[in-house]
Amino acid sequence: MSKLTLAIPSKGRLMEQTTDMFARAGLVVRKVGHVRGYRGEIEGLPGVDVAYVSSSEIAAALKSGSVHLGITGEDLICENISDAGTRIRFLQKLGFGFADVVVAVPTCWIDVSTVAELEEIAIPFRRKHGRWPRVATKYINITRRFFGAKGFGDYRIIESAGATEGAPSSGMAELIVDITTTGETLRANGLKILDDGVILKSQANLFATNAAAWTPELEALCSELTGKLASSVRQTVISRI
Amino acid sequence: MTAETVQNLEALAAQSQTVMSVFIKAGYDAVAPAIIQPADVFLDVIGESLRARTYVFTDQDGAELCLRPDITVPTCRLHLERHADPTTIARYCYNGPAFRFQPQGATAAHPREFRQAGIERFGDEAREAAEAETVAIIIKAIEKIGFRDWTLKLGDIGLFSSVLDATGISPNWKTRLDDAFLRPLSFREALKGFAVGVRPPSANFPEELLSSLRRDDMDASEAAVAVYLEEEAIELIGTRSLTDITEHLIVIAEERNEPPLDARAAELIERYVGVSGPALTAGEKISTLIKEAPSGSGYALETYDRRLALLANAGIDLGRVSFSAEFGRTLAYYSGLVFEVNAASLGPKSPIAGGGRYDGLMRAAGSGADIPAVGAAIHSERLLAAMGGKAP
Repeated sequence: MSKLTLAIPSKGRLMEQTTDMFARAGLVVRKVGHVRGYRGEIEGLPGVDVAYVSSSEIAAALKSGSVHLGITGEDLICENISDAGTRIRFLQKLGFGFADVVVAVPTCWIDVSTVAELEEIAIPFRRKHGRWPRVATKYINITRRFFGAKGFGDYRIIESAGATEGAPSSGMAELIVDITTTGETLRANGLKILDDGVILKSQANLFATNAAAWTPELEALCSELTGKLASSVRQTVISRI
Repeated sequence: MTAETVQNLEALAAQSQTVMSVFIKAGYDAVAPAIIQPADVFLDVIGESLRARTYVFTDQDGAELCLRPDITVPTCRLHLERHADPTTIARYCYNGPAFRFQPQGATAAHPREFRQAGIERFGDEAREAAEAETVAIIIKAIEKIGFRDWTLKLGDIGLFSSVLDATGISPNWKTRLDDAFLRPLSFREALKGFAVGVRPPSANFPEELLSSLRRDDMDASEAAVAVYLEEEAIELIGTRSLTDITEHLIVIAEERNEPPLDARAAELIERYVGVSGPALTAGEKISTLIKEAPSGSGYALETYDRRLALLANAGIDLGRVSFSAEFGRTLAYYSGLVFEVNAASLGPKSPIAGGGRYDGLMRAAGSGADIPAVGAAIHSERLLAAMGGKAP
């Protein structure tokens, strides 16, 4: 029988939180072979193959169907898979990796607190500066969909690989679309979130992809795993209360 | 549709040669701007919507480049490279490929790779004469190919401004409506909203500051905004200046006190936007509504009539010309006249040529100021298709 492949983050805080969450569900995830290797297994679930993948590439693995399951942020799925609604199944919210994708503008723009007001300044801005306001972001598709749904097209995206919050003060862009958890980094960089500028409230999820080959046996194993993780997430929520 | 057969390629080449000979004879310099262009200029001018239609890529040095989606912007850049003084009068013609992603899939009528043969004219202050000549040369080239069954459609987004002047509305309303006009999707709704005089509610404005701002004393107003920011410990960052922010705050304050858009003006505006049909009849309709307007300035009408007269002088049969007030609203960078040449066999969605005035484009390309500019291009594959695939 072929195995159920699960991609989990290969490093950093997301990997630790994933491992902890499995432990609370009574599942021990460990590496197979060399400690620096990228294969693992789950004690007690011999049908599952674990692949350690960099969290940004988990979306790509789900998109192509090279894994059955993956743990990553909703933001990365929405950004990288345009037909996520049909291709990807959201199996379980995992209660960590919280991050909001937001539209943030300089706090000194006391004249702008909604997307409608942002739209108002776009044409005067262009009249004066000869170009549209620039939006720095790594969430190009999410940004385009969000503004598109509001009928706003008078802006220019600047791709930003990192330290996006610094783009307005350094003059690289006028505003940003980025993730934030507490808003502290935004405030430190002189930025505020628009009143209607929260695009997505994201957290880590267990995702399944329809692009992979599924058998009834694999589906059953997937349900078992999802059930265990779900009870672990519920317990965490209760203990927090 | 690229040239898939040698016959097709030869037919296109022969056609372009004839078209170019008409342009060159009329005094236009033949140029060949680069096919690969910096993406900046296009995306800055036309906005994020064009990125979806342009093949944008990053080269090995990380520079953002594109396959030119038209040849007008590359010709502007070429002009700026040639002339230290961008106001230098110049006329250029070109023939070559341009590239556009077709979201609905590439077809023969909407190919991803197509050829344009066109003309651009910069720095000519005699605007209306230059426009009429541009239209006439394009028609002449099309007829030289042997295609005679054309119709010409005109629009003018600058005319809307003149109609607004005639209605005698306040400058704030004028700016708002001018901006709203460029967004056909929300225009009707905006007009309705304006008639009630509602400024969309948005809670957190600093009320005291707003009420202290005065357009006729910008210095004091800016100082007040600066004091407010300082008191609130807000740092001024980014490219929008204190002036930009203050100006928008003043607009917000004024709009709150602005009486609703006059119902009579709203009605006139709606009637103007609905004007469409044969150019001569459309002129009469505009004339009637301008005469009914409160401050009945005839400027819009004079422009309209003078343009038709110039076209007739240039030998254009006005019976084949139509006008639509809405035409040109969604077309990227045009600032005044827009036109389109159609062939009945290809339908209204596949014009064989098009162009217009775009005085603001050169500034975006780096000239530092608006430069009078008018141009037009023939869609080579479509013209060939209208000719049944036969070169002259």
